[in-house]
Amino acid sequence: MENVIELKNVTKKFKGFSIKNIDLQVKQGFITGFIGANGAGKSTMIKMMMNLLKPETGEVKIFGLDYKTHEKAIKERIGFVYDGNVFFEGMNLKDIKRIVGPAYKHWDDDLFYQYVEQFELPLNKAMKTFSKGMQMKASLAIALSHHAELIIMDEPTAGLDPIFRRELLDILQELMIDGSRTIFFSTHVTTDLNRIADYIALIQSGELVFNQSIHDIAENYALVKGGTELLDRDTEKDFVHVHRGPTGFEALTDNVKAVKDTFGDTVFIERASLEDIMYYLKGGLQYV
Amino acid sequence: MFNLIRRDVILQKRLLLTFIPFIAFFIIMDAHPALTFLVASIFMPINAFAYDEKAETNILLNSLPYTRKEVIASRYLGAIVYMVSAIGVTSLAFFVFNKPFAITDIAIASGLFLVFSALTFPLFYIFKRGYVSPVVLFSFLFLALIRKPVVSFISEHLTVINNFVASLSITTLYAGAAVVIMTFYAVSWGITTIIYQRKVF
Amino acid sequence: MQIIISNSSKEPIYEQITNQIKSSILAGDLQEGTALPSIRQLAKDLQISVITTKRAYEELEKADFIYSIVGKGSFVAEQNLEVIREKKLKVIEEQLSAVITNSREIGLSLDELQQLLKILYEE
Repeated sequence: MENVIELKNVTKKFKGFSIKNIDLQVKQGFITGFIGANGAGKSTMIKMMMNLLKPETGEVKIFGLDYKTHEKAIKERIGFVYDGNVFFEGMNLKDIKRIVGPAYKHWDDDLFYQYVEQFELPLNKAMKTFSKGMQMKASLAIALSHHAELIIMDEPTAGLDPIFRRELLDILQELMIDGSRTIFFSTHVTTDLNRIADYIALIQSGELVFNQSIHDIAENYALVKGGTELLDRDTEKDFVHVHRGPTGFEALTDNVKAVKDTFGDTVFIERASLEDIMYYLKGGLQYV
Repeated sequence: MFNLIRRDVILQKRLLLTFIPFIAFFIIMDAHPALTFLVASIFMPINAFAYDEKAETNILLNSLPYTRKEVIASRYLGAIVYMVSAIGVTSLAFFVFNKPFAITDIAIASGLFLVFSALTFPLFYIFKRGYVSPVVLFSFLFLALIRKPVVSFISEHLTVINNFVASLSITTLYAGAAVVIMTFYAVSWGITTIIYQRKVF
Repeated sequence: MQIIISNSSKEPIYEQITNQIKSSILAGDLQEGTALPSIRQLAKDLQISVITTKRAYEELEKADFIYSIVGKGSFVAEQNLEVIREKKLKVIEEQLSAVITNSREIGLSLDELQQLLKILYEE
């Protein structure tokens, strides 16, 4: 299987924050959801994928190509949607199309107008008069009109109402019928992902915790609940994080099988949601 | 590249409507032709920076299939393209109002414009958004303050150079100035490209 | 083809799909050779991820319920209904034996058990 995005040992330091030794592969033909708390490094990673930011060490390859030598060829094949409007806000959609369209070799005017119609976007109104949802739709229409193979989106659902969020997810699924497309998008609304994502990459304080298929996550991670008397140094080793309460413990494991072997029927094992996983990992990566 | 240069026309099409009355005003007020040409040339590039200053614009341009080199090249080449067109339109306006002007006016105006551009363009990429206008204003005041001492210094000490300049023919003088200005412009272009390539958005 | 997915079910989504397609095939609703929707189309229609439908089809293929031809799609495989029926009957027998064992343990008579079965069956 081909990797569309490949990050190898990528590091980038900022004041009080850094991206540490990230290795990440994004598979072609699937939707990868990129999750993490606010400030975990999602936007920074996306900027590195777009070459808006250069890593200090390590390499970023898109379609197997390097930005140093193939910047234009790479960007030709990417459709991007950022959190917030990056288009000239005083301009209307028609003028923005006039500026953005000719930048791409494969720009498709008919396709663009088809999306404009589908999304019910006004062509002659300034972007700044658009609602957040409409701006997002406009960005999406532009991102989709040059037959991009990879669509990178930074928090596309942030600030959108639930109805439009659903619409967006439907549009994305529609795109995936063409099996060569790849979608990579960051979000902190994990419910968006439960529905459509194939792979989930989780980043925490600049470190990649995992990048697994939703099935692997469901099979490896679970919430374990039971009486605190069951816990000791040995039994705890399969937990990522344990929360002890007066009525018992609740823990997250990334190794369900081992937990079953250790505890048998003495504990409850429940499916961990992405939110559960994020919440329990928040305490840090160190094993308890 | 052409598209990058053309974007300024699309972005500024409303503003461009004010261009003709703006120039007409200068001509009717009998401003010096060289000044009129200079103002006309500066019109577009300066307005363009109002857009380029924004972080969003840079994120957009750099997410499109353009290299950073091209973004800067479009700025520098575009300035020349717009200067030439502005001079053309302004010359036409002079004819229409039946006012005289000389080729030297154009030469002086374009020379000054290129020097001005070469000096200010890098500033727009060095300083953060919102800081550029104060910086330009401050530099202008600073130059105005040091002008007197500098001029007197030159007139006192550099009569040798003065004599040398005076001894040159007009053609050599103009040609020399053109070479110096073009070199200056090219150096500025190179510096801005290096600055821009290191920028983070 | 009708598939209904419950998000609150404990059963994983891919299993819900495989089970429902299996029963459609066994009930004869899906005939041998019928083309199934593509993995990506089904994912879109069910509003679930591609990888889930992919897994469901893989499981069905493993169990010989369907077969796939690259570039053409997936089709319902020939079913030896006799064999499947026999297998099912065996499972039913085993399950009933367990029911009977449980019933004896609490002293449930055959009549009572039959009545219970009748009610549940007709439900």
